[in-house]
Amino acid sequence: MKKILCVAKREFLATVTTKAFIIGMFLTPAMIGVFLLIFPRMVDRTPPKVVGEIAIVDGSGQVAEGLRDYLRPERYVQRREEQSREAADAAPEAVKSIVAQSPEAQAAMQRQVAAALGEVPQLTVVALDSGIDLEDAKTPLKIQVSRGEAGRLALVIVHPDAVQRAPGKDQFGSYELFVRSKLDDRIESDIRNGLREAIVEARVRNSGMKRDEIDALTTVQRPRSRTVTAEGERTTNQMFNQLLPAAFIMLLLISSLTSSQSLLTSTIEEKSSRVVEVLLSAVSPLELMAGKILGQMAVGFVVLALYGSLGILALFSFAMFGLLDPVLIVFLLIFFVLASLTFAALMAAIGSAVSEIREAQGLLTPVMLVLMAPIMFWMPISREPNSAMAVALSFVPGVGNFVTLLRMASNSPPPAWQVGLSILICAAGAAAAVWAASKVFRIGLLMFGKPPTFGTLIRWIRMS
Amino acid sequence: MGNAIVLKNVTKTFGGTVAVHNLDLVVPEGALYGVIGPNGAGKTTTIRLILSILFADSGELTILGKRSALEAKDRIGYLPEERGLYKKMRLGDYLAYIARLKGVDGPDLKRRVRGLLDRVDLGSAETLKCEELSKGMQQKAQFAASIIHHPDLLILDEPFSGLDPVNQRLLRDLVLEEHNRGATVLFSTHIMVHAEQLCDHVVMIHKGEKVLDETIGGIRAQFDPRSVLFEAMDPQADVSLLETVRGVLAVKPEGPAWDIALAEGSDPAAVMRAIVAEVAPARIELRRPTLEDVFVAIVDGTTPVAGDERTRLRASLREGSHITEVRR
Repeated sequence: MKKILCVAKREFLATVTTKAFIIGMFLTPAMIGVFLLIFPRMVDRTPPKVVGEIAIVDGSGQVAEGLRDYLRPERYVQRREEQSREAADAAPEAVKSIVAQSPEAQAAMQRQVAAALGEVPQLTVVALDSGIDLEDAKTPLKIQVSRGEAGRLALVIVHPDAVQRAPGKDQFGSYELFVRSKLDDRIESDIRNGLREAIVEARVRNSGMKRDEIDALTTVQRPRSRTVTAEGERTTNQMFNQLLPAAFIMLLLISSLTSSQSLLTSTIEEKSSRVVEVLLSAVSPLELMAGKILGQMAVGFVVLALYGSLGILALFSFAMFGLLDPVLIVFLLIFFVLASLTFAALMAAIGSAVSEIREAQGLLTPVMLVLMAPIMFWMPISREPNSAMAVALSFVPGVGNFVTLLRMASNSPPPAWQVGLSILICAAGAAAAVWAASKVFRIGLLMFGKPPTFGTLIRWIRMS
Repeated sequence: MGNAIVLKNVTKTFGGTVAVHNLDLVVPEGALYGVIGPNGAGKTTTIRLILSILFADSGELTILGKRSALEAKDRIGYLPEERGLYKKMRLGDYLAYIARLKGVDGPDLKRRVRGLLDRVDLGSAETLKCEELSKGMQQKAQFAASIIHHPDLLILDEPFSGLDPVNQRLLRDLVLEEHNRGATVLFSTHIMVHAEQLCDHVVMIHKGEKVLDETIGGIRAQFDPRSVLFEAMDPQADVSLLETVRGVLAVKPEGPAWDIALAEGSDPAAVMRAIVAEVAPARIELRRPTLEDVFVAIVDGTTPVAGDERTRLRASLREGSHITEVRR
């Protein structure tokens, strides 16, 4: 055991102290950090300051004033305040309590919302005479104006029957909208909303009904659902529920892949540099392989711990740690041990059988396919965690590690017996992989020349 | 004193190829044995069997009193024929790692590593990465790794291959130091001169079978060619006259010199004095059997060897010997 630990220690240190590993370890979180922090700042989400006129030919004679009112700067400010309130209401309870207790947080939030919405547009609604030539009215839309300069932004033609049905017709008329090229889509949306509001208001007025009453009748509040668990209730967070399985799978995949790939390269290096025979004079092939697997599993654990800690830190910082079930972390560790053991053993076998990394490509393909299977089946399994395919894949050695964890992190976790059976099958798969790998490892390490085929590897397993 | 290595009827095959066939070998403790034979004779396989890197199909092995080298790995030092180092590892760390794998640890390890590096003239290279060492330095480092734990049994597979004469001399001295310390040394070589210069005892292997197991003295006695190499001072001298000298059997030209065969029972010293009296010599010496001659003679005797094959065999046994000037 002492020799196994000695090999494991060297394997671990030789991997984690390389520049490539250190750079790789910090590059990924750094790239994510850049993506999350810097990239959004580089993108100017603030809408441009818009100044201009909206021309309207109001065939009904009842819409222009409503539109003018809707697009007034004061009304803009009013609507934005409502949006801020809705955004604050949609935030998780933990975030809301932090914001409520901290005036700085409230100010910061308002700043964020104001920055996101941009400066209030200065729009003037100009009513045109209904007899105006349409082409003449469109001409100002074609004139290029520089940013911030007033000009005609849109032309609205409201049909005469937009408010009052034409005799003998069931349907109301509508409007036509002509806009200049490259008009900000948010301004166009505001014009449409204003027209809708003005036309509906006019129609309701004409019908003799009360707008408030209609709004009350047609509005149904949409409360946020609450997730009920044995431990209690909590507000459902859809985005968290979708991201959590993906995060767990990525953690498991990256950590297993890092350890198994390092094992492959270190085994090939020892074999090609002929150090291996010196090692075999000091330790048995099984001890050597066990030490190498143990060392690389420790490397994988470092990756898992680092990235996992970053994830937990992120949850803490957004006050969402309470949404994570700690039992999942235990299962993540169990499946990490099984997955990394399985793939490390297979990589050790492949590494021992070849003399150069390029010779390993043919043998690596099936292993990589198994490793990539969770990525390929991620979406269908996430949507239907208890489908026949998801259940069947849970019981496939190697793949089952990923699929069961994915299902456990989803909204519909599998029953306990399926988790237990999956762990048993994956553990048996890992044991079989280590057993077969030890046979190949023993023979392959001293074999040079033509790279072996799968048939040769199976013959070696039988020979030992 | 017991035996360090005992092999009884050991056979190893790879597929249809018999690498070692019914091999018996006994190496006493403290001996310095050479396993010789041309490339592909089965020397490396024999060594790997001794070290339990490979396992015999049949036969029995006892290594340092154990049924397998696995039980005595910490007492065995091994320098493989194909050897390497961890390129990115510092030399001192590499030696300490190998020492730990061989069961040597503790506060003295660093001192032991430093002492050994000084001994092999690599004291200044302790903190260098192995890839920064020259080829000669790497070979010395590899040898140092094989003796870092003061082994009772030192096994060296083709230790001199690729070494320049200076490093061959250094390595020979280090091997002898280990032998003098009390370690049993077994080394393989396909260069007969190396075996002649170092060994007490030689085991010859040819096509997986042992064809000779004898001390150097015994080989010389057994394969004494009983002939004299003679070169006349005057190249025009009539050397054929020497056939009349008492004790001379035949005189045959051999390049610029002559091979004078001695009669059975004759005294070589008396015959040589008589030869010198007849023709003034530029050079005269009693021929000694070389291991190369012995090996070829044995192979000739056991299996018929065609002329071309004999030439190839001799070439493989001499390969590299021209750079060797070491003498024990």
